[in-house]
Amino acid sequence: MGIGTSMKETSLHYYRDPLVEVLSEDQDVNLRGIIIVGSPDKNEDKYLSAERVGVTLECARADGAVFSCNGLGNNHVDYAHAIEAAEKRGVPVVALSMVPAKDFVVQNDSLDGVLCYYKAYDKTGAMGDETTVLAENTVNELDARKALAMLKLKMRKRS
Amino acid sequence: METGSRLTVRAYHVTDVAYGTENRVTVDGHLTVCKETADEILKAEPLIKSIDIRIIAPDEHQQHTNTIMDVIPLSTKVLGKVGEGITHTLTGVYVLLTGIDESGRQVCNFGASDGILAEKVAWGRAGTPLESDMLISFDVVLKEGTWADRPGPEAAHRACDTFCQIFREQMKKFNGYKCTEKHVFQETYEPDRKDVYIVKEVSGQGAVYDTWMFGDEPCGFEGGHSVIDMGCMPAIVTPNEFRDGVMRAMD
Repeated sequence: MGIGTSMKETSLHYYRDPLVEVLSEDQDVNLRGIIIVGSPDKNEDKYLSAERVGVTLECARADGAVFSCNGLGNNHVDYAHAIEAAEKRGVPVVALSMVPAKDFVVQNDSLDGVLCYYKAYDKTGAMGDETTVLAENTVNELDARKALAMLKLKMRKRS
Repeated sequence: METGSRLTVRAYHVTDVAYGTENRVTVDGHLTVCKETADEILKAEPLIKSIDIRIIAPDEHQQHTNTIMDVIPLSTKVLGKVGEGITHTLTGVYVLLTGIDESGRQVCNFGASDGILAEKVAWGRAGTPLESDMLISFDVVLKEGTWADRPGPEAAHRACDTFCQIFREQMKKFNGYKCTEKHVFQETYEPDRKDVYIVKEVSGQGAVYDTWMFGDEPCGFEGGHSVIDMGCMPAIVTPNEFRDGVMRAMD
């Protein structure tokens, strides 16, 4: 989801998404599937779709999940709630984000797994600022590896 | 243990792209682009004022571009549906969809990437071409005021998809033995491993802030559904469906 150009995941990004490749190649986990959820406009819809993400992971008996969201601002309303909805059902989450958890527009007690991947801090001096350079702030292989390593630690602590 | 779907992707590397009297791609990597095709496509799109199809070589990046709406791989199904069977894809060339509204508004949410192309792309990312790749620019001018409602940007994507389909139809007939790369993706499941999922939150709030899924072709528009029309409810796909282009970025 590209709210701004630098966060934009193009069709080509989806076609060779580093997150999917890193998780599907790893020898410690089974990547069972990718759950695609839209970030809706209305607040009540945000809570509904976020809740359904939590329910889907519960029904799947997931051991863990890596979340990704390439927007910010109001997108973090449903993002933060989806993370909480998964965590409160016992599913550990690592959530990739353009900004650190402290900069989310809403807060809850389940955001300890937020991993910031913003790449233009040296240029802009502020996490999450738009640079208008296509895909400058998108998830790369290293981000995906960090997220998976963090998730493995979280899953180990739970079990 | 092997389980679920198996996907074979055969890649064909394109070595040269040139203008010609027809749109044609050959199995040995020669691609020609016919600029006049734009006029044909335009006839079916009342919301589009004009379309310009251009080839951009690696040494031509010091030129103006409108905001980049999408970077699209040229891929097609040869056997089976997206996520299984056989896919043919081109490497070394990508389609760049760019757009502006007649009034001068760039067709994007915010943070438009219009400017000098060389400076407006983080080259070599998962979602962007290499600096050495050939680009086919599909530049759309939408009629005034149409960028802000979903039918406007959708028209730009549909027109571009119509153009891509011309090459896809030819790629379906490529000899499988003549590919430059072949990748086989077999879904697996090991009982002693942790079961993990990826959750991707994608755009679903309106024009230039949309995501489509389940197109007929990899990263295709035709046959696809907007996540907005799907109520932004979670939909689960297999890793093979995802890497075979079940998604189309519309933001």
